[in-house]
Amino acid sequence: MGEITLKPKVTFKVPIIAETITPDNFAGKPIEEIEKLEMWEGNRKTTLGDLFEAAGSSGEAPADTKIIIEGDVRKVRRIGYKMTDGQILIKGSVGMYLGEKMEGGKIIVEGDADSWVGAGMKGGQIEIKGNAGDYVGAPYRGDTKGMKKGTIIIHGNAGNEVGCWMRGGTIIVKGNAGLFPGIHMKKGTILVEGDCAGRCGAMMKGGKIAILGYVPSVLPSFTFEEIKKSFKVKGEKIKGPFYLFTGDLNENGAGKLYVSTEKNKHLQFYEKYLE
Amino acid sequence: MKTVRNVVCPFCGSLCDDIEVDIEDNRVVKVRKGCAISATKFTKYNEERIYKPRIDGREVSLEEAINEAVEILANAKYPALYGWSCTSTEAINIGIEIAELVGGVMDNTASVCHGPTILGEQDAGISTCTLGQVKNRAELIIYWGCNPAHAHPRHMARYSAASRGRFVKGRKERTVIVVDVRKTHTAKTADIFIQIKPNSDFELLTALRWAVKNGELEQEEIAGIPAEKIEELADMLISCRFGALFFGLGLTMSAGKARNIEAAVNLVRELNNYTKFVMVPMRGHFNVTGANEVMAWATGFPFAVDFSRGYPFYNPGDTTFVDVLTRGDCDAALIVASDPVSGFPAEAIRNLAKIPVITLDPHETLTTMISKVVIPTAVVGIEAEGSAYRMDAVPLRLKKLVEPPPGILSDEEVLKMILKKLKERVK
Repeated sequence: MGEITLKPKVTFKVPIIAETITPDNFAGKPIEEIEKLEMWEGNRKTTLGDLFEAAGSSGEAPADTKIIIEGDVRKVRRIGYKMTDGQILIKGSVGMYLGEKMEGGKIIVEGDADSWVGAGMKGGQIEIKGNAGDYVGAPYRGDTKGMKKGTIIIHGNAGNEVGCWMRGGTIIVKGNAGLFPGIHMKKGTILVEGDCAGRCGAMMKGGKIAILGYVPSVLPSFTFEEIKKSFKVKGEKIKGPFYLFTGDLNENGAGKLYVSTEKNKHLQFYEKYLE
Repeated sequence: MKTVRNVVCPFCGSLCDDIEVDIEDNRVVKVRKGCAISATKFTKYNEERIYKPRIDGREVSLEEAINEAVEILANAKYPALYGWSCTSTEAINIGIEIAELVGGVMDNTASVCHGPTILGEQDAGISTCTLGQVKNRAELIIYWGCNPAHAHPRHMARYSAASRGRFVKGRKERTVIVVDVRKTHTAKTADIFIQIKPNSDFELLTALRWAVKNGELEQEEIAGIPAEKIEELADMLISCRFGALFFGLGLTMSAGKARNIEAAVNLVRELNNYTKFVMVPMRGHFNVTGANEVMAWATGFPFAVDFSRGYPFYNPGDTTFVDVLTRGDCDAALIVASDPVSGFPAEAIRNLAKIPVITLDPHETLTTMISKVVIPTAVVGIEAEGSAYRMDAVPLRLKKLVEPPPGILSDEEVLKMILKKLKERVK
């Protein structure tokens, strides 16, 4: 497998739009050609070679190309845009729109990621070892086509609106999640292993959301169904028990919301509807 | 002494257009019909004025200041242009041209007040009307998270609760509901006051919508309001003939932001299955609606437009000025008719203080104090004319009542000079 290492030449101030950093663009190209790939530094057009030091050699095809980015790339956006295969490893924190419209391959971030991780993703896998910002898997504002396929795993916490307008795929948040996970969701699965700030599944029409930690309340447009023993994510069984709600009834939705019974004693009043 | 009638007040989004002012020796001496804020604006606009352009605190000629501003903007890799809500639509239009020319981020103050309203509307649409419709027809009026008694003092008398309309004659023929977290002065005049728990507007709006759909509420209490009361309220909303929902920053800036507005739009849409219901945002600055209108017609987006790659790109959260500043992305800023330093988060201000800032403002503000280049301008609506948009998007013409101090031009004229020099410089 060919490996290419990128190191920022300076500390970036203005946003860098680096949608050319993908295994698809790097595969089969010598370093000199990779250095000529176009990028935007604020309002100036520039090249990869002006901003990064590149070393190593790429593979023949995207599948056997691995890109390693060392250093702080918080200001660098759209890494892995529309990538179809191969790997990107970021040994630090990364900027917005990581893996936007990604179709395949794998991205690993050892630090944090900013908002819109996997925006409108169509396949592949993204793993963030730190925290993620808002709108994980969500499309741009105004768009109604969120994540379709693939997996996003956040080991830390995630911000608001995880999986907004989601149409498929899986998002796993090992830490806590902010407000509105699964808002406008149609299909797919969201698992939050920590606590959630609330309003889960607002306006959802389908799909599954499970919260293993504390939730302040369930939206009034959700109806309590039953107590379930377990929940399945990607074939793996997660033990409950869970309160199962259906909603969002305001949107005539049939989404499933699983909320841990153990961590949410304040929701016990729903049990009177069991008969 | 000269009396000017039908003056449009350049203070809040109500844009009252029936003010009468007396002018003597190029000074406004008396204001009739205006509220207390309006009278103060017309008579005290001359306090804390700036009379000379400055660079780094040193007084310079207008030409020097403009040259410096042009250099800063032309050299910047990611400049931001912000403010615009207290100036004329004509000035905003030139601002957009400058932003496009220098490849900057163009944002207006809506992004920190009613920006979420716009986002909510873009996601769910809006059923709205002009204030005249409300005055003539609305039987039921809700003020949600706003306090017009203080912020828009003549709104209730001229356009809403207490206005004398053609079909609905006055306050006695209307039902007024106030939803707020505390008993405001507006709430004290209401027929029904609903005191909700802070940051639970979304839950209450969702519950109301579900109740309007005749659904059963499984929780006994939502947002601190008993379920029966919510059902009662839903019945009330359905049974009015024409209802209007006015909402302010209590809704747009509490937890959920744009989603609160989306929930409100959804509730209003649901109500329109049974009756006529509209919603109107209570816009703050006199021309913040105009800033959105002009930007929408010129670029396709009402605020937070990024021209850095040559075409308009819009994604609030990324391209909003407060976020750009907080991340420390921009390397120069042009602030027109606004004072972000007074209201922005500390982190954003710290970053603003590190970059060269150009400010156009008639008055000394915290922002002019941290600016590299300061260019004083005329007060729009008093010393300069122009057009502005009322909160319901009705355009009105602002009048020039008195002459500005010698050597002081309007925002529009200064921006035109900057644009002309920039065009030569970029060539």
